[in-house]
Parts: sequence; C-alpha cells; structure tokens
Amino acid sequence: MTDQQVLVKALPAEPPPAALPAPGRRRRFDRQRVAMLLFIAPAAILYALMMIVPSLQSIQLSLTNWDGISPTFEYVGLRNYEDILTADRFWNAVRNTLVLGLGSALIVNLIALAVAMMLDKLHHAQGFFRTIVYLPALVSGFIAATIWKYVLNFNFGAVNATLKSLGLDAQTRDWLGDHDIVIGVLLFIICFTLGGNTTLIYLANLQSVPQELVEAARIDGASRAQVFRYVTWPMLAGAVTVNMTLMMIAGWTIFDQVMVLTLGGPGFVSETMAFFIYKVGFGEYRAGYGSAAAVVLFIVVMATTVIANRYMRSREIQA
Amino acid sequence: MSTGTERSGVNLSRRTVVKAGAAAAVAAPALAACGPSAGGDGGGKTLIRFLYATGDATWNEVVAAVTEAFNAQSDNVVVEPEPLPAGTDYATALKTVDATGNWPALVDMRDTVTYMEAGKIAPIPESVTALLSDEVYAPSEDGSVYIVPSTALNGEIGFNIVYDKDYFEANGLTVPTTYAEFIALLDAIKANGDVPLAMAAAEIWPSDQIWKPLAAPTFAQFSEGGGFWNTVEAGEATIADLREPMERLKTITDNYALDGWQSTQDAQTSTLLVNGQAVMATSSAGLGRLNDIAKVDPDYNAGLFVIPADDGTINVLKNSVNGDTASGIAISKQAEEDGAQYEAAVEFLEYYYSVEACNLMEATGVVSPNIKNAAEVKRNDSIPGAADYFGLLENPKLAWYENEPTNPNHSTFQTFFRQSRIEMMDDQITIDELIEKSQSEFEKNMAEG
Repeated sequence: MTDQQVLVKALPAEPPPAALPAPGRRRRFDRQRVAMLLFIAPAAILYALMMIVPSLQSIQLSLTNWDGISPTFEYVGLRNYEDILTADRFWNAVRNTLVLGLGSALIVNLIALAVAMMLDKLHHAQGFFRTIVYLPALVSGFIAATIWKYVLNFNFGAVNATLKSLGLDAQTRDWLGDHDIVIGVLLFIICFTLGGNTTLIYLANLQSVPQELVEAARIDGASRAQVFRYVTWPMLAGAVTVNMTLMMIAGWTIFDQVMVLTLGGPGFVSETMAFFIYKVGFGEYRAGYGSAAAVVLFIVVMATTVIANRYMRSREIQA
Repeated sequence: MSTGTERSGVNLSRRTVVKAGAAAAVAAPALAACGPSAGGDGGGKTLIRFLYATGDATWNEVVAAVTEAFNAQSDNVVVEPEPLPAGTDYATALKTVDATGNWPALVDMRDTVTYMEAGKIAPIPESVTALLSDEVYAPSEDGSVYIVPSTALNGEIGFNIVYDKDYFEANGLTVPTTYAEFIALLDAIKANGDVPLAMAAAEIWPSDQIWKPLAAPTFAQFSEGGGFWNTVEAGEATIADLREPMERLKTITDNYALDGWQSTQDAQTSTLLVNGQAVMATSSAGLGRLNDIAKVDPDYNAGLFVIPADDGTINVLKNSVNGDTASGIAISKQAEEDGAQYEAAVEFLEYYYSVEACNLMEATGVVSPNIKNAAEVKRNDSIPGAADYFGLLENPKLAWYENEPTNPNHSTFQTFFRQSRIEMMDDQITIDELIEKSQSEFEKNMAEG
C-alpha cells in the first residue's frame, strides 16, 4: 500500500459527484427512460413510417421519371431539378409563395399584435372579444375558402352584388379570375383566416409583461409609445419569433385556399409551390418531377426559417 | 417514507407502461384498420363503390337512379355511388385515389391507357361486352377490354353551344351554318346590347368547350394520318398549325364572352343563360345540359348547335374506345384481386347495359349507352332542345374525325396546354408565346413518354 493510498483511505468518504448517479439510481433512471421511450414508441414509429420515411423516399423519387402509377421507373439523375430550376412556372410559384408566406406573416403579425394590445386593455367582456377574434381560426382553411368563393363569385357573389347595389358598378371585379389582383385577394383571405392563434400568443405574452416595469417607466416620464418601444416590445421578442416562424411555415405551405379558390389560375398565375407540387405530381403524372419540387420547397422552407429565426433570436438576446 | 412513495411510483409506472404498451400494440393495428376498406359488407351483400365525376346535375341523378334500381333488385350486391366534387380536376382526383391505394370496384375512368399499363384496371368479361354494340368497345393490345361506355358514344357532339331559342326568334336570328355566320350571329347579339356567350374556365377543363369546336377543322385535316397529335409527335406538323383556331379563340374571348369567364364554373353557365345574362353558353354535356336548364327553368326554350367550320362542316371527334382519351367505366384491379368485388362489379355492369337501366337513364335525361337491344330503349325527346341534339346526329354536314394520341404522356401535356391556353385567352401571354411554350413542353413530354 503506497503512502497516497493510505492517505486516501484515511480521509472521510466524500459523497459521489452529482453527475455520476449511484448504480441503483442509474437503474431507476434507465427504467424511467425505457418507460418514456415505450410511451413514445408507438407514435414515433407511426410518425417515422408515415412522415420521415416517405419524406426521405421523395429524395430518391426526385431522381426518377416515375409517373406515380406505374410499378417501374428509371433514374434520370438531376434532370428533374434542371427542369424545375429553368421553368418559368416554378419561379412564378416560388414568387407567389414568398409573397403569400412573407406577406401573410408580416400582415397577420401586425394586425394580431394590434388586436392583442386592444384586448389587453379591455376591462370588460375580454373573454367574449377574445372568442370573437379566435373564431375564424376554428374554421378549416378549406371551409373558409369555400365560403369566400361564394362571397367573391363574379356573377352571383355578395361582394359584387353589394357594390352594384351601392351604384359602384365600376368597382366590381372578377376577384378570383383577374390575374392582376388574384394574389392580393388570396393574401387577404389567408390573413383573415390565420390571425386567431397569433393574437392569443401575443395576448398571453402581453399579460405576462411585469407591471412594475411599466409603472417604473411611467414614473420616469415615459410616454405610452416609449413604454411600448422600450418595455413591452422587447418583452414580446420571444412571441414575435414564435409567431413569425409559425406564420412563415404556414405561408410556405399554402395549399387549401389555392385549391378551392383558383386551382392555380387563371392559367398558372396563382400557383404556389405546394400547389405546384400537387398539380405536377398528381394531375400531370410526374411524381418524380413533383418530388424534386418538394425537395426544393423543403430546402427553401428550412433556409428561410433558419435565417429568419436566427435574426429574431439575436434580437431576443439583445432584448 | 419518501423513498417508499417513489418506489411505489416506479412500480406503478412499470405496470402502467406494460398496460400502455399492450394497449398501444393492440391500438396500432386497430387504428390502421379504421381506414376505409376496399371492400365491405352491405347487410350480407357485397358492398362495392362506384367512383364517378359529378360533371352535371343530370349525370348525378342518372348514377343515383341506376344504382338505386340495381340495389333494389340485386340479392347479392350493394353499389354505393362515390361522387368526386364538380370543382375538382377529375384526373388529379383519380390520381389521388390511386395514391391512397384504396380503389373502388367501379371507376368512371380517364387516361385509360396510363392506368391500364400500370396494371390498375382489370379486364371486363365477355358477359358484359356481349350486351354492347360491337363498335363501342375494343380490346387493347393484350386482347382484353378494359373500358366500356357510360353513356352513348356520340363522340364530342356534346361540345356545343346552348342558346335561347325565344331570343333568336324575337330577333330574327338563325342557327349558323358556317363559321362566318357564327361570328355574324355574335355581332348581331352584341349589337342588340346583349352579351353573346357565357364561357367557363374555373375548373380549367371547361375551357375545352369553346376550344375543341374551334380546333376541330384543323384536327379533322389530320384524321386520316393518325390524328393531329400523333402527326405532331412524328414531326410532320407543329402546334403552330393551331394558330388559326387560337386566333379565333382569342377573338371570341375578347369580344363576345361574358366577363368573369376565368372564375366561372361549368354549372354556372346554365344559370347565366336562364338569367338572361348571356344569350348563348358553351357546354360539353349535350342533352344533359339541356336537361339541367329545363330543371332550372322548365319554360326556358333552349336549343343547341355545334360551331361549324368555314365550309359548314360540323367536325366532331369520334370517340376513342380504348385509347388514352377513352372514357367510360372500368373495373379496378383491386376488385379483381378481391374476387367477390369483381363479381359484384360485373353483376352491376350487366344490369347497367340492360334495357331497364337504359330506359332509366333516358328518363333521367342522358342518352343511354349503345347496347345491342337499343331498339327496345325508349328515347327521351321530351327535354326542350332534345330534337336539336338528335337532329345533329342526322345532320348531313356532320363529319366524324379521329385524333387518338398514342403517347402515354399525352394527358400530361393536355393539362399543361389547357392552362397555357387560358393564359393566352387572359392576355398573360401572346399566341406566339403560347405556341412556343406548348411546342417545347410537348416535345419534352413526348420524349419522356
């Protein structure tokens, strides 16, 4: 036995470091982890089979000429990607997706924040108005779009009928068939439907802003605008990140409204990337080509979301 | 104490985990089984589904009436109609059905060759085809018949113009016998301060209703040589050969069509006509459209005609009976694999081509399929304008032409071509640009086919 060993033995036993659990504790921890995994497993397996595997398979399909029906296909290398990137139709869909995605994210967030601030100031019937604001979000995009389709119908719709009855015949439009305005109309409808959740997230964050900070700012002589600029707005940074991210992802994948209201038309003018993928993959028997477009959409969504998120996160840190 | 509680908690969790795991193991396949099954049981009978396109109200009623009558008399089978919404692009919807892997036994088929070559549809037995006139079905290359007609095969004679007869009489107008007379008719109506023509393009496919009659004289020129599209594929013609009909299409759209055609749905043109918002309307449903109009307004005095060529010829596309453009009823491969479903589908088709079912179709407002016992079928000439429809079939100027593309990718191109034509009609691109992009897309699609 060395001197060092004797010294160690003479010292009182130290408790084991916290990072290294006792064997019994570790076993319990492992059992709990196994239990958790078992709980998660059915959903995880289903999710992997239904979402992850097909998503990965679409990368394989994007390199083929599969028509979506035949039992066989041939590998065509990167030809689908070349065709997509040189097609005006695809870039038109990208442009529409950006306009609708970014546009709806910005507009919905602005309106939702304004509405949330108004709701936050309400002292009476806040629950009622909160419900009213949230109601459109309860209606599925498909149903809401179908209702809008009737309302905006050129020949029989309520909007044109009202304009005519007010003597504003010159203001009537083919709201869903005029290629100059159809994207704007889609943007309006999307914003109208998607604001409920965003408003509630802002409202929850507004209500968690510490009132002592607001009161301190007021005592220091800050105006209402200054209180919002220097106290409330920084405290909402997290909510802005969440809301913008969610809205952008929803915007990149807009499909229901286009499917119901315009079918991408007139011509190809209102096609979005999600609709383009559906149309070429299912309607034109080009599953390989559609898969390549889906891969491109995935890259666009990931890239833009990561970049936007990074910017907004940095703002949160500053705040 | 604390430890004991934790231990019991752990033990409880373990039991719960085992139970939950077992429940999940049971639930997963059970959930999977919750999806709609390919087959089914209709109270001891074999339940099969009949997927069809809801083109117009009359066709909906025909399917409902025939399936109801069949179900009432069958001891073994129940047929459940499964309509696909009118606003849907049917070809896309059909592809979506295929993607789900849940085929109905009976399908109102489109793009037949594509699905036949993919092994998605089954041969139709002789017990069914024996009931039909020989010219309305044909075996494919493997000797089997895969599609049988759902209605009378009168080609595309249903692609016509429906008009207000009372208006014509009141204004001294007559049905045009040449293309020049057709334009003069449009001018006369416009000069009266009325809108000549209601058109539809919201669902994309109705844009064919005005295009096909205008392009028919050009297509007819290539009838003998295998049809226009095959000739273009062979490099002996180009899409530029369609310049004249494209120009005519543009002229009619710009000068005579009711505003809002871009977002007008096919079924709305009947209402526009009856409301007097237009004097004429495009249609592709023939007698069915006349029947729809009669239901909306029984007093409306409707007539119909086909846009004639410059020389007065009424060029009408002859039906394809087994090509990719052939449409009709098919039995799915899934039904054949099931066995009982196939038997049920065959039983239904045997009824579908009976005199009893054909009389039911005629009474509901559709010209029934060409069956061998057609002489026993009572034709329905009570629908206002029906005489015009049957008169077209006897018209000495009627000329049938063929245009049967053989490339399996042709339907891919046609979807693109339709949307591109709408772009041109809507002033988004010029005719030159339409020709250029269509030719380019055609060559690309055919090369892949």
